[in-house]
Amino acid sequence: MAMLIATWKHCVYVFATGLEDEVDTFQEEHERERHRGKRRDGERAKKKKRGNGEGRKRASRAGREEEKLQARREKKGRRKKSSSDQQAEGREGDEADQPTTKSSKAAKTRKNVKNEKTRKVEKEEKEDEADDEERNRKRKKKHGSNKKEENVEDGNTHTVKEKAGEVKKKKHKKVVETSSEKETSEEEDNEEEDSEEKEVRPETLTPEELETLKEAVDERKKLIQGLRGKPWAMKKKLVTLRESQEFVEKYEGALGKGKGRKLYAYKIMMTKKWMKFKRDFENFKTACIPWEMKIKEIESHFGSSVASYFIFLRWMYGINMILFCLTFGLVMVPEALMGRPYGTIPRKTVPRAEAPSAMDFAVLWDFGGYAQYSVLFYGYYNNQRAIGWLKFRMPLSYFLVGVGTVAYSYMVVIRTMARNANESGVGDDNSFNFSWKMFTSWDYLIGNPETADNKFASITTIFKEAILEEQESRKDDNIHLTRFLRVLANFLVLCCLAGSGYLIYFVVRRSQKFALDGLENHTWWERNEVNMVMSLLGMFCPMLFDVISALENYHPRVALQWQLGRIFALFLGNLYTFIIALMDEINLKREEENIVKFNITTWEASLYNISASENSTSPPVTIQPADVPRGPCWETMVGQEFVRLIISDTMTTYITLLIGDFLRAVLVRFLNYCWCWDLEAGFPSYSEFDVSGNVLGLIFNQGMIWMGAFYAPCLPALNLLRLHVSMVFKASGSNNFYMAMLLVILFLSTLPAIYTIVTIPPSFDCGPFSGKKRMFDVIQETLESDFPAWFSKVFSSASNPGLVLPFILLMVLAIYYLQSTSKSYKEANVDLKKKLQTQNEENKKKNKLAALKAQMDLEEARKAASPSAEHQKNNNASPDQEADEEEDRDRSQRMYRSKNRRSPPPHRHDGQLPATRAPVPRNYPHGNQGFAGYLPSFPRENEARMHRVPSLQRH
Amino acid sequence: MVSPAIALAFIPLLLTVLIRCRFYFVLFYRAVLVRIWRDCVTGLSREERAYQYVLTHATPGDPDSILDAFDVWCSKMEFISTIGPKKGKVLDRMLMEQSPLTVLELGSHCGYTTVRIARSLPLGARLYSVEMDQRNAAIAEKIIRLAGFDDDTVELIVNPSDEVIPRLRSEYGLERLDFVFMDHWKKCYLPDLQMLEGTGLLGKGSMIVADNVLFPGAPKFLRYIRKSGLYEWKVHRATLEYSRGIRDGMAELVFQGIK
Repeated sequence: MAMLIATWKHCVYVFATGLEDEVDTFQEEHERERHRGKRRDGERAKKKKRGNGEGRKRASRAGREEEKLQARREKKGRRKKSSSDQQAEGREGDEADQPTTKSSKAAKTRKNVKNEKTRKVEKEEKEDEADDEERNRKRKKKHGSNKKEENVEDGNTHTVKEKAGEVKKKKHKKVVETSSEKETSEEEDNEEEDSEEKEVRPETLTPEELETLKEAVDERKKLIQGLRGKPWAMKKKLVTLRESQEFVEKYEGALGKGKGRKLYAYKIMMTKKWMKFKRDFENFKTACIPWEMKIKEIESHFGSSVASYFIFLRWMYGINMILFCLTFGLVMVPEALMGRPYGTIPRKTVPRAEAPSAMDFAVLWDFGGYAQYSVLFYGYYNNQRAIGWLKFRMPLSYFLVGVGTVAYSYMVVIRTMARNANESGVGDDNSFNFSWKMFTSWDYLIGNPETADNKFASITTIFKEAILEEQESRKDDNIHLTRFLRVLANFLVLCCLAGSGYLIYFVVRRSQKFALDGLENHTWWERNEVNMVMSLLGMFCPMLFDVISALENYHPRVALQWQLGRIFALFLGNLYTFIIALMDEINLKREEENIVKFNITTWEASLYNISASENSTSPPVTIQPADVPRGPCWETMVGQEFVRLIISDTMTTYITLLIGDFLRAVLVRFLNYCWCWDLEAGFPSYSEFDVSGNVLGLIFNQGMIWMGAFYAPCLPALNLLRLHVSMVFKASGSNNFYMAMLLVILFLSTLPAIYTIVTIPPSFDCGPFSGKKRMFDVIQETLESDFPAWFSKVFSSASNPGLVLPFILLMVLAIYYLQSTSKSYKEANVDLKKKLQTQNEENKKKNKLAALKAQMDLEEARKAASPSAEHQKNNNASPDQEADEEEDRDRSQRMYRSKNRRSPPPHRHDGQLPATRAPVPRNYPHGNQGFAGYLPSFPRENEARMHRVPSLQRH
Repeated sequence: MVSPAIALAFIPLLLTVLIRCRFYFVLFYRAVLVRIWRDCVTGLSREERAYQYVLTHATPGDPDSILDAFDVWCSKMEFISTIGPKKGKVLDRMLMEQSPLTVLELGSHCGYTTVRIARSLPLGARLYSVEMDQRNAAIAEKIIRLAGFDDDTVELIVNPSDEVIPRLRSEYGLERLDFVFMDHWKKCYLPDLQMLEGTGLLGKGSMIVADNVLFPGAPKFLRYIRKSGLYEWKVHRATLEYSRGIRDGMAELVFQGIK
């Protein structure tokens, strides 16, 4: 009660000081709307259920009264807003009946207020405080306004006139209202009823009422769900949503009776909790995806194409993670834990010659010395069949992991490709070029003003280029020059490719010479020549290609494809030159191995001779494992080469990043203030993130990993490290195209690895397969010794050509079948698309026809209706309504109304008022005059018109 | 020692840089090297040479012919930073649309732009041209008179722009500037613009055109107009005068007044 008084006082104060400042804010508007809803309900309820029950009657009265109050408030507000144009209109007719209506209304209001107050007191405890306060304020305002209005009437005829205008408006509105009351099918109808029932306590309701309440709640819920699809203005949607949510919140728990009610409330609460939990869980899941938030941030800064690179990177990281887990868990850790320790056998020891330099700092990037004789490389592993107490089959595991990584990679890549294929392939790119650009250019994920500026500029240039291109294609002159230039460009690129290939070959041969001389005699530069040259070429040649491709004058998309193709060719060429050189080296090593083998036999023989000659009974001479001569382990050499390649590649990447991007950016930013031209917009500018180039780099990097992983189990781990660092460092879509590239690279990189595994016999004294003829013999060995006899028999019989060939045939057939079905599906898809299009067009035509017809009908109807309009004027607003309708440009609405012309027009949503509504008073200036006993209603609609009228008259 | 193979690997980079920046190299050659050489050979300044050429190759009293002669000299013989024919056309169009009565030009250099503006002015309009350098101003004066514009149409003010602008109202009796063209020191764009705002000579609808906002470029100026909200602005993108490959822009600002 104290609160009530306080608010009362406050309100009185407000009215005393600044009535004119009747708040026009947004919130006020909302509030008003809410009241209006109630008011309307009240009226409807009154008409419908007159004498239904005490509570209801009271409610309805309250509603009516509220409505009046509302009208008055609005009037006041509008007085200020609406200019004198309205006065001009209203001045004529209403001066006479204004005072009477006013006074009667005022009296009524006062009575109502009393009523309401009593009711209020009754209910006070039950209703929650916020509601209470709101109502109080309303009431207070009403009082204030009454007083004020009377004052005004006494003193100022001008305002009276003004008010008259208002009244007229209101009358008009009222008319609309009454007509709309009759039809009950509209959904808002229900809605409003519900909100009326809000006034009534749930406990006092009869079962039927409860039923209606429940229905209302359901209705609201439905409304909330379907709100997104409603063709309303956002503002209205928000308002409706909030209202409905409040309503549901309030009355959901109140439904049901006694025990059931509690259960119901409990249930509701639990569902809410569950929903919240689910949402939290979703959030948690998102938080669990690594770098998700970072990528989102990048996306907002640099657009989705850059983000797609990072998503690709993350995907790659995931694959490498699994490869790493495989090799680490099944090969490296068992060997380190259960295999023989370092220094027990020659292959696990640093040879005497290398021992002094085995701990040099250079080991970190050369991977010689202790790093070479560790689990990181092939040569360290022993050919012992089973190790440790677990009887872990090390060679078998090594082989299977090697095969498994490749198989897993194939599987993942192909699966991703298939998934992407489903997503893409909608529509053709070439038609509707400008429409595509127009409507799809903007990247809605951009959240940074600077990036938005950049995007804006780039879209502008894209448009300019597209227009230029269109003009060019229309012109179509000098095709010979273009052709010549294209041929020239390709020639230049080929020269470049050949040059880079030759340079790499030359360097690799030279490095072999160095290796024969002994690496120690040469500088670091010379030792790392191969990797350096490869990385540098891989970095600079694409730039040159880019420059050359400016000659060709291709469409940017085509140009990008060419560019990617060229870079691909370059990388592949470089990689294969490297591999060919490696093969040469492998052959050299194998020759060396033969010599060493021979030497070892002589060495052993001499050892035996010595021991035999000295003393036949003495224990055999113990030789340090470091002193035992050993063959050049070519597998380790290959692994080392790949590791070095990766390392130098990473280094060059970071150096380029540092110089090319970071230093450049620093230079541009800080030198810009004292330079003679604009560095940012002009020549050096900031470097852009080249998505395609970076993705290609990533793909080739992965290819190298796949190639070398068999001989250096540490490679996935290294790559993991590299990717991780680049993830963090580069904070400055896995397209199917890239995926296809990845697949090709996967194939091309596994090819040499498989070739070496299958054709070249393993070294005799290092690695898990030493002593075997071929590496895959390990499987046969396992089959023979670890599985029962029948299994190997079955296996051998299954692997005979008689069975394998039919199987392969079957597979080919299946592939062929699947391919043809997919093709037919694609065709069916295209057909359906066409069908849809034609249907669309037909529908459009039909709609147009229907609209025309409706318009004709409407015209006729109007002609028929206009004489009767004058007639009906006093009790019905149909002419007005129809006038409104005519102005309404919304075709569907018009159609609808033309059908129901005679029946009251549909109740319109306030917010949906068509913007094209013309000034009604102009068309029917006499239509609203001389109404008595109006009930002000639809203030919002009125208001909308009020706003419109001045502006129109000004024109 | 670095091995030769690694050095060879840098060739693509070198080529790329060469091809990418070829226009800048050409510009450097024409604007700096040729200028120094000619200065030594003839003993005249660049502007004087240009004036000599114009005097001998153009019809006096005909602004078009003078402009043509300038264009030929700038594209064939040496390089002088004027507005150039392409951006000049844009400027002409803006002047035609605006038909300003009071025009202020900051930086007349040797008078090319002054002639260009003066020839498309409506009758009774007056152009104030500000030049800091005495020798350039003398040449500009000659060129303007050669083109047939008298003191009533074009008034040349030999003073730095930051001294002239505050005195425009008091000494030259200006009330409002309809059109301002800026082509002087790029660093002065922003302070001069702010000074113009301060004098209150800019009215609603006054147009300000600034040349070379991208190359050599006036980044601070662009940043300021983007943020200030006093202007409706756009940048006409074009290439640098007498050069094909260097992107440049001309900013067009329309003063909206303080809202």
